[in-house]
Amino acid sequence: MIYRGLKIDDTFAEAFNMKASRIIVTADNKKWAKNACISFTGFATSVIACGIEAGIEKELNSNMTPDGRPGYSILLFSMSRSQLEKQLETRVGQCLLTCPTTAVFSGMESEDIIPLGKNLRYFGDGHQISKKIDGKRFWRIPVMDGEFLCEETTSRVPAIGGGNLLILSTNRKSCLLACETAIESMKNLENIITPFPGGVVRSGSKVGSKYKSLIASTNDAFCPTLHGVTKSKLTKNTGCVLEIVINGLAAKDIALATKIGIDSIAGSKVKKDIVAISAGNYGGKLGQHRFYLKKIIK
Amino acid sequence: MKPLTLKLKKQLRFRLDGSFLSVNNFKNISEFKKFKIVYGNKLHNISQFFSISGQDIKNIIIKSSTNKIDNIGYKMKNMSITVYGNVGNSFGKEMVSGNLYVHGNALDYVGSGIVNGIIHVYGNTGNYLGGKPVGKNEGVVDGVIYVHGNVGDHSIQRMRRGIIVINGNIGDYCCKDMISGSVLIKGVIGENFCDGIKRGTIVTTQRKIICNYINTNKVNINFFSFFLKKVYELIGRKIFPEKFNLQRFYCREDNESLSEIFLISK
Repeated sequence: MIYRGLKIDDTFAEAFNMKASRIIVTADNKKWAKNACISFTGFATSVIACGIEAGIEKELNSNMTPDGRPGYSILLFSMSRSQLEKQLETRVGQCLLTCPTTAVFSGMESEDIIPLGKNLRYFGDGHQISKKIDGKRFWRIPVMDGEFLCEETTSRVPAIGGGNLLILSTNRKSCLLACETAIESMKNLENIITPFPGGVVRSGSKVGSKYKSLIASTNDAFCPTLHGVTKSKLTKNTGCVLEIVINGLAAKDIALATKIGIDSIAGSKVKKDIVAISAGNYGGKLGQHRFYLKKIIK
Repeated sequence: MKPLTLKLKKQLRFRLDGSFLSVNNFKNISEFKKFKIVYGNKLHNISQFFSISGQDIKNIIIKSSTNKIDNIGYKMKNMSITVYGNVGNSFGKEMVSGNLYVHGNALDYVGSGIVNGIIHVYGNTGNYLGGKPVGKNEGVVDGVIYVHGNVGDHSIQRMRRGIIVINGNIGDYCCKDMISGSVLIKGVIGENFCDGIKRGTIVTTQRKIICNYINTNKVNINFFSFFLKKVYELIGRKIFPEKFNLQRFYCREDNESLSEIFLISK
């Protein structure tokens, strides 16, 4: 199918049920809030080895945060509750508590509660102070620049991870530009993150490997260097394939981000080099959600 | 649905127990109208005392109230009661949730044993605001009490959690044996304040109560502006000036109290 001059493959992105949580990180200024968030979301690209997938959801102005300071909201996705709890606590302790001027708050409400600063408070060595305001408990932990303020708990909600978009291009430069355009257009969309570096992943994977110890290996069907060697899904003129992985709180959020991403590429100058837009799936056997590209762009 | 409005018809000679408004879980207005209340040593229909209009039994307005009506909002859950006039003793006693407003004065034991919810008193209160209910060991368990005027003696006993905001003055022997929670007082504080305090936060403009505390170094405490913002949202008004100097005093020297005082000065 041709959509606004772009070839859209008749396929679907296969996504999985996950659990997500949102936190809000604030600081005296945007620079330190961002420093904290970059550190927090570091090494959080894939649950395969990182434990969680996390990313900055959007920038928040002073009037949008609980304490009236600039900040960012972060979304965290995990397959299991224990991993989410463990990673959240570890990352808040090592990346937010340590970062000057920061404070952290829960960014969502549900009945499924997980600890945020509940156990971190013991860092205060008996001088931590609790304040319960309007049904929410906050902890004030004395630190060397004053106090670290954190909410005791945050919430966990059902979510979807692994929505994706494959961009097939004749060359790497234009493929990267197309990805950057798409990521930029999704930048401040609510309820989604693109957890990989810069939002883009080049090492798309398939399930299984010739080596028994590996559960996943390179997606050879989309590797241009293996065209003609393995069962390739690429045309002869495809020189580069990059993937944008989208995690979201709901299917409609992922579908919206996918559509906006495709639209932004269709409206950009690099469109002429794009061979096709495709999506990654495992034949529909593993994931609980399917995002059909044709349905999304309608 | 219009709020249930009760207008007192006549002056009361005896005290009237107003807890029937909040503890009986009326299902509808007809059930409410049939209910009989004790006055003196007899049972009377509600309509003998109040003219009744409106249907919403979870949102009640009392007009022309006097300080002879006690226990309004007693153990109240998910309701709103607004009183125009004065109220008697134990206003909002052991309240569980909801909102209580009195546009007048209240007698003793306002918010005694309050568990949650918000009490707004737009006048003065008597003694024992947030006092311990009989048989209980804690005065305020949680919740918010705002008093626009002055507060009497022996108020805020063994407060566990919650926030109390007093725009006026407070009497003697207040905040005794405070366990935790936050008390914000704009006006003058009486004698023997905070005797036996364990933890908790006091925000005041009165320098005299800081004499036994350690003056901590001046730092930016982000929490304070966040806290004030949240408190102002809860009580619906600002009580301290926009710009002020803030000093934090922590740990009492004469015992092992971990309480803190935020001193606000111009």
